[in-house]
Amino acid sequence: MSNLGFQQFPEYQVPGVQQADFSPYESNGGSIVAIAGDDFVVIAADTRLSSGYNIHSRDQSKLFKLSDQTVLGSTGCWADTLSLTGLLKVRMQGYEHTHLRTMATDAVAQMLSITMYNRRFFPYYVSNILAGIDKDGKGVVYSYDPIGHCERAFYRAGGTAGTLLQPVLDNQIGHKNINLSSSELPKLTIERAVAIASDTFISAAERDIYTGDSVLINIITKDGIEEKKLQLRLD
Amino acid sequence: MDLDIARDLPRPGFNFDNCKRNATLLKGGFKPPTTTKTGTTIVGIIFKDGVILGADTRATEGPIVSDKNCAKIHYLAKNIYCCGAGTAADTEMTTDLISSQLELHRLGTEREVRVVAANVMLKQMLFRYQGHISAALVLGGVDKTGPHIYSIHPHGSADKLPYATMGSGSLAAMSVFESRWRPDMSEEEGKKLVRDAIASGVFNDLGSGSNIDLCVIRKGSVEYLRNYELANKKGERKLDYRFKKGATPVLHTSVRDLIVNESVTVVPMETS
Amino acid sequence: MDSGLDFTDTPVSTGTTIMAVEFDGGVVIGADSRTSSGAYVANRVTDKLTRITDKIYCCRSGSAADTQAIADIVAYSLNYYENQTNKDALVHEAASEFRNFCYNYRDSLLAGIIVAGYDEERGGQVYSIPLGGMLTREACTIGGSGSSFIYGFVREHYRQNMSKEECVDFVKKAVQHAIYHDGSSGGVVRIGIITKDGIERRLFYNTESGDPQVAGTASFIAAEQKMEA
Repeated sequence: MSNLGFQQFPEYQVPGVQQADFSPYESNGGSIVAIAGDDFVVIAADTRLSSGYNIHSRDQSKLFKLSDQTVLGSTGCWADTLSLTGLLKVRMQGYEHTHLRTMATDAVAQMLSITMYNRRFFPYYVSNILAGIDKDGKGVVYSYDPIGHCERAFYRAGGTAGTLLQPVLDNQIGHKNINLSSSELPKLTIERAVAIASDTFISAAERDIYTGDSVLINIITKDGIEEKKLQLRLD
Repeated sequence: MDLDIARDLPRPGFNFDNCKRNATLLKGGFKPPTTTKTGTTIVGIIFKDGVILGADTRATEGPIVSDKNCAKIHYLAKNIYCCGAGTAADTEMTTDLISSQLELHRLGTEREVRVVAANVMLKQMLFRYQGHISAALVLGGVDKTGPHIYSIHPHGSADKLPYATMGSGSLAAMSVFESRWRPDMSEEEGKKLVRDAIASGVFNDLGSGSNIDLCVIRKGSVEYLRNYELANKKGERKLDYRFKKGATPVLHTSVRDLIVNESVTVVPMETS
Repeated sequence: MDSGLDFTDTPVSTGTTIMAVEFDGGVVIGADSRTSSGAYVANRVTDKLTRITDKIYCCRSGSAADTQAIADIVAYSLNYYENQTNKDALVHEAASEFRNFCYNYRDSLLAGIIVAGYDEERGGQVYSIPLGGMLTREACTIGGSGSSFIYGFVREHYRQNMSKEECVDFVKKAVQHAIYHDGSSGGVVRIGIITKDGIERRLFYNTESGDPQVAGTASFIAAEQKMEA
């Protein structure tokens, strides 16, 4: 903040006057869910892009394929998402040219963290969830805060409906607050992970105004990425 | 003696003691509780035989949908209804209050109340509160002078119009009216137009959503079409999320006996 | 919202052009028809020439809520006065009642009002009550946000002792110029001519031909076909 700003001269302030400041950020909405299994990972994001009460697009994918084994889901300020994913693409390509191989998921995860922390004092205003297959062939999910804190997990929800969806995943995938023996608990298959991911989005579209239109689901296995699409409510 | 009692009586009128406290709390960074705002699409038109009012059914608290099927077309009198946008409590209480005043007015005058009367009462009340009552209304009805639509803003200004829209979806709805409204439309045409206006709010404005309510008021008859159209179908979930018996652990059980045993001993009263 | 479109929280104002001119035997009053709420046009067919009595009208500018409320109160009180005395109210009486409200509540009101009308004592009269609550009689006055664009026009073209029709033409042209330059003024030009016989109202569409352009009407379809040809 400039030390000649009007805040420095309170005695000259006119009561009731609002200072219009330029805001470099905008929230464009959207939600992401990622669920990792033994040898697969499912990542899903809705396709609504909005600001305020307006819808900009009903068909904008928020999933970015970084490699055959890694997909990034990114929401928040869409301008920052585009600039961040553009930078990641450049770095992935640079890595491929210098090392003659594709970056592994855990390496991408670490790089993303560093890329975000580079902007510690003017952060990318984004909620990132990275999903992929790690070097042991296991499914894995990484989640981030806007300045690059990285956490490895098995399931994660993010974006505008993240706070609504995370407890559902805790219960259904993490089996939290559920008093059943392990034999009674359902096994996490691809079908179950996809079903839970799409069901959470159906429910999120009911209550979160920024989530809706449709949901894109990417299923990542060692054989590659399968894509699915599901219609959500349009209001 | 009496004066002492009188002195302790609270002063009549509003009490503003908490205003200063609230201002201090606000300065300290306290976030006051939010009110339910109905980011809304509400509309009204005049057609050949009367008026048609329309509304969506979504109520929101910030980005969260707090009611998926609320009713925004309020009853004022037998021949007058009113759509409300803004703070949910304000629109409900305002219309309820004016509704009872109109009923007393009808009883007092022994005549069917006129729409202008409702308009004047509403605008005078909103003006008195200088915009602090966040109610944006579309008032519609039919009386002996014909059909009327008024749009009333929170600060107490009112416009008499052949078609009106209000709320966050009003631009979407108005664009439908500006291109397709005509004088002397038939009831079917009118209902279709109002449906389309609300639908454009429901789909293009994030503050509006869910279903479409209509209310057709003709000379001598009213048709309140609650959930005239379910514009949005809820998605079907793939899994069953009912919990198995025993999923919730019982941490502690205690059983209390409801049968209470009492014994009474008779103590003879001293009468000496 | 940032766009200035969240008009449920924005007060409605008649960012306006209003005008009144005296002539021998009456007054001509005029106004545009736009009511805006931030960037949104809340009403494009507003009638800002508001009846106080049969022969006294006011032109409203400023906050729609404030001016409507005052006009309603004054109309009520003059109606009571006329009923009790069985006489037509004087324009000056109406104007000073307006002035009393505008002056006493000057801190909480946003109202610029022109009171104009006809009475048997002094004929056609125009009174101006600008923002602070001052009252002046004027032979010709303009008001509202659009008026600043037409001070030059009015100074150049106003003449004393204009006939009724000359006044109508003058007011019409002035308001049309204001509508052209002022974003908060628009729609149609409404004109009222108040004489001893009451009011005669006229409406001027801002189209090239002067005809209304209402979609679906015969004249609109004809204009469309002409455009295509």
